[in-house]
Parts: sequence; structure tokens; C-alpha cells
Amino acid sequence: MAWIAEDRRQEQVTKGEPLLTEEMKSHLREKYFPRYPTKRAVLLPALHHVQHEYGWIPTQALQEIAEFLELAPAEVLDTASFYEEYWLKPKGKYLVQVCRSLSCEICDSRKLTDHVMKKYGIDVGETSADGRLTLVELECLGACGTAPVAGINDTLHEELTVEKLQQIIDGLPEDPHDYKDPTINFAEANGH
Amino acid sequence: MAFTEPVLTKRIPLDPSKRHAVWYDEYEATGGYAQLRRALEMTPADIIKTVTDSGLRGRGGAGFSAGQKWSFIPKEKKGPHYMAVNADESEPGTFKDRYLIDYDPHLMLEGIAISCIATQCDIAYIFIRGEYHREAKVLEKALQEAYAKGVFGQNGTFGSKHKIECYVHRGAGAYICGEETGLLEALEGKRGWPRNKPPFPAIAGAFAKPTVINNVETLCCVPPIMEKGPQWFKSMGTPSSPGPKLFGMSGHVNKPGVYEDELGITLDYAINKLAGGMKGGRYKGSICGGISMGVLGPNQLDIKLDFDDVRFRGGCLGLGTAGMIVMNEHTDMVRALRNCVRFYSHESCGQCTPCREGSAWMRKILDRIVDGLGRARDLEMLMELEKTMGIMPGTTICGLADGTAWATRTFINKYYEEFAARCPEDSQRTVPLTVIKRGNALPTTPMGSNTRV
Repeated sequence: MAWIAEDRRQEQVTKGEPLLTEEMKSHLREKYFPRYPTKRAVLLPALHHVQHEYGWIPTQALQEIAEFLELAPAEVLDTASFYEEYWLKPKGKYLVQVCRSLSCEICDSRKLTDHVMKKYGIDVGETSADGRLTLVELECLGACGTAPVAGINDTLHEELTVEKLQQIIDGLPEDPHDYKDPTINFAEANGH
Repeated sequence: MAFTEPVLTKRIPLDPSKRHAVWYDEYEATGGYAQLRRALEMTPADIIKTVTDSGLRGRGGAGFSAGQKWSFIPKEKKGPHYMAVNADESEPGTFKDRYLIDYDPHLMLEGIAISCIATQCDIAYIFIRGEYHREAKVLEKALQEAYAKGVFGQNGTFGSKHKIECYVHRGAGAYICGEETGLLEALEGKRGWPRNKPPFPAIAGAFAKPTVINNVETLCCVPPIMEKGPQWFKSMGTPSSPGPKLFGMSGHVNKPGVYEDELGITLDYAINKLAGGMKGGRYKGSICGGISMGVLGPNQLDIKLDFDDVRFRGGCLGLGTAGMIVMNEHTDMVRALRNCVRFYSHESCGQCTPCREGSAWMRKILDRIVDGLGRARDLEMLMELEKTMGIMPGTTICGLADGTAWATRTFINKYYEEFAARCPEDSQRTVPLTVIKRGNALPTTPMGSNTRV
């Protein structure tokens, strides 16, 4: 729901070490600046990059991105708050995204959500006490043929049952950066 | 001649265990990139003519002639032209583009290169939805290969004078970016708010330059058309909707998945022959092409799945993306509609009041009916709301609200008894409308106090 307004008057901005590091800046500068005629177009890739690094996008990072791309901070927030994938509040290490659209709902996706809610004592949108799991329900993940499906971080899991989902959750490694999609059996490309 | 062998899925076996991503060498060995080499020797006008003659209609939902769309791009170049590939596949029931990208990425890249030559585009941006992590990686890898082999890059395509760049641009979870002008806004780094037309993207699109926007499947149709000619393409399908099409079958069927066949097959054939028949009960209804298009009712199994029959005889908005969600007799249609309307109220971008407020109120009303507190007035109100929103009554910028309206209209018309039974005439109950529960799947939701940092 992109149009819901959030009260950000109480937003605390802690100024610490820069979150958008020189290394990240040069990566964006080299890889993304030549691709687009405007700097603003780099905003989505920049937000993705920061979120990948920290798991969410702190307000301080939004301000640094604004400075880097020569935009007003409000313009960056305007874009960042529109898209559901950007987390402007911290989330757990693993984001469990259960699809709730029609194909999945008629194939009992609700059971998956209910199970995670009950097992970890969290509501949709909340994080478990140990900070490991955050549960969300998303609209169509685009894998209706293998419903019900759920994504865990960047990996899609198909034809799920409650038991299968639990097994996957139990098998998650400690560090989310170690968690790789098992179906990616090729060397990943780093730009061209 | 009819549809005899797979066209778009010729490199993708039906058996899931044998499927694998087809990389450059295998693609080229099976006839790939030959059409691109041929296109380099043709003039842009000839390529456009070939595609226009084939009658290829856009596979992204609207069904507009692809060749005609290309011909709107100015012939005289006064600056860069852009191409935006719409891989923001988010319509519930649609998963065909994922299939094509996962297993045959180079087919799309060849289609992109050919259409860039036809429309004199300098840069192609593949706008892929944020949730497609794996697909984005497949594309990055395929692009790296294509660059290394000289399909793209500043050295010119296969050494010719055409210099094409191609990049992956990831979206970030907003259905509205599948709308072509919403996509352009997202590409420019803004919120994905659709633009008022005119100017049309062909004149002033991405970065205010002429831009051509095509769906993944449309582009995948281009190399086969170049290879075998427009007449061959027209021999499949119906006169107004020629060619092969991917049908995404999901829901209560025995063998859900993506199947390729020609346009104009019947719904009965799609369910029983392609998808292996109904599962768990008899047929009750089927979403005909993504939920925006509406639902085909219990006695509409003979509807032909092409761009026109679904519309004129089937009473839906159109074929859309041909993603069918088949429902059996045990499905609660009121809940199904609630699911659809919840989707639209969640995905409305918030620009136009009829869509933002209309879909939110429809969702509240449907929540009430599902909770067993429906009143006869509720159905009337739903029907009234549905008539006021969308491009067709002329109250919104884009077609998202038309999707809400058509889903509601077709569901209520075709399953009126079911709805009426839940909204009794004599009910005098006055109950407060349930407030939309905030927090469902919102990234901005406050976290539990136990984890606040």
C-alpha cells in the first residue's frame, strides 16, 4: 500500500560512520552511472545496494544517497517509501515472504502464514524475539503454477507444505549472507 | 497448418527434470542469433513490416499490434531512443515470463536486439520485478555472455554499425510498475506513478525520449517470425489473434504449469488437455488472464482463448496475459473476489481518488460480507463503485482500476446467487465497517517492541 502516509516526525537520525562507504560509491559510480542519462535513475540500484549490505535502509543512508546523487533527501524518501521491497525499519535476518494472491490462497497458503505466526508467536509484519525471522505476506510472487510459494530472502521455495516450510526454516544458516539459492548452478556475473 | 511444434518453448522440455537454462553456445548451436545476423542486413522499415504483417499482438495484456507500436517511433533520429522491456510480471495468475527468462534468456535477448535495430534504439533496459532475484541473475549472466560474443556493446552488433547497450534494471515490489508509464517513472528513479497520456512513450517516454516498451513474450516471438515469416505465424491461431501463446495454468488442476499452444484453443481444451483436468472437484470458474480480466463462468468452457472471443462472448476485459487460475466447485467465490479486490486496494498507487478510495471501500465491504455481516445494500454499493472507476468511465490515469472493476463485475454477475445469499434482503444490521488492518505485508510496519533497535 504505497499511498499510506507514515508519521516521520519522530524519526531519529543517528549520525555515525558513513553507511554509504567509498567502496559502495565507487561501485555505483562505475557500474551504474554510465547506464543512465540522469543521476536520479541510479536511485533504485543504490537503494538495493544499501539494503543488500545492511538488510534495511536507515534514514542516514537515505540522506547520504541524496547527497551522492545530488537529490533532495525528500526526493529519495519519496521514492524509497513507495516501493514495498525497501525496508525503512530494521527487519530480521531472514524475511519469510508468503504469497497470498488468488492461486496461492486457493492452494492453502494461509496455512503457511498461520503456522509461522503460531510457531514463532509473531503477527504478519513482525519479527521473532530472537531477531531471526520476519514474516510478511506479499501479493503474487509470480510462481502460480507451483503454489503455494514463499520466498525466504532472495530464494523462492515452491510447492510448499507446512512441514516443508518448517524444514527449510530450520535449515537456515546463522549468517544470511551464507544462504544461497540452490537452483543457481552457474557462476554469477558481475557486470559487463 | 496449425500449431504442430513448440515455437517459444522449443528449447524448454516439458519434463521439469530436464529443464535447464540454455546458455549462449547451446542457444547458437540450435539456430539462435541467426535471425539477428539476418536483421543486420535488413532496413528497419523491412523488419517492422515483417512483424506488422505477422499480426503479432502484444503479449503483456493489452494485445496491441507490436509492429504498429514500433512504427510510432520517429523515423528520423534526433537523439537517443530507448527500449524498455517489461519483465515486471506481477499479475496474479501470470508466470510465463519467469519461465522464458529462467530457461531461454537468449531468445529474449535476440528479440531485444532485433527490435532495437528496427526502432533504432541505443539502450535497452530490462525492467525486471524486484522479487525475481534468480531471474535477474540469469539475465546478468546471459548478458555477460552476449556482450562477450558481440551481440551488445560499443563495438557494434556482430561488427556492424548498430551499437546497442542492454542493462537489467531491478524494480522493487510494486505491481503498478507493470503499467508502461509507471515502469518509465520507476526507471527514472521516481515513484511508479503512471503518467497521463499523451504524450505517448513512443514520442516522449523514458528520460523524455522516444521509447518502445514491449513484453518479454512479445519479444520472444520476434526471432521465430523473422525465421519463418509472417505467413507461417498467421497459420497459427485465429485471424484476429495469430500465433502461439504461453498459457499459465494454475489453481485446481492436476498439472499446473506453463503450456504453449496456439491462440484460440477452448478453455475446456486448456484445462483438460494441457493441464491434465480438474483436481478436487468439478469446474466452477476460471480467471481468464490475470485477475484484471475477470472470471469465466461455469457454462463458459467453450470460450475460445484469443484476444476477442474472451471479450465479446466471454464478457471479460480480454485475454490479458493468458494466466488461468482454475477453481473447482468447492471454491468460495466471495472469498476469491475479496482476494482480488484486496490485491488492487493494496497495489493502487494512490494517485487517482476513485481507484485508491474505491478499491479500499470495496475491500472493506467484501471483508464484511465474508465475515457473514453482508446486507443487500452492500452488493448494490459494490456494483455502483465498480461502475465509477477506471479508464473506461474516464476517472483514472491508468487501467489498474479497470482491473478492479472488471473482476468485481464479472464475479458478481456470474455468481450472483452466491453473493446474494450472503447479503440477505431483510438484514437490518448496521455494523461498523471493519477498518483495513494496517500492517499486512507493509515494509513500513513497526516491528515488535522486542526487536526494536
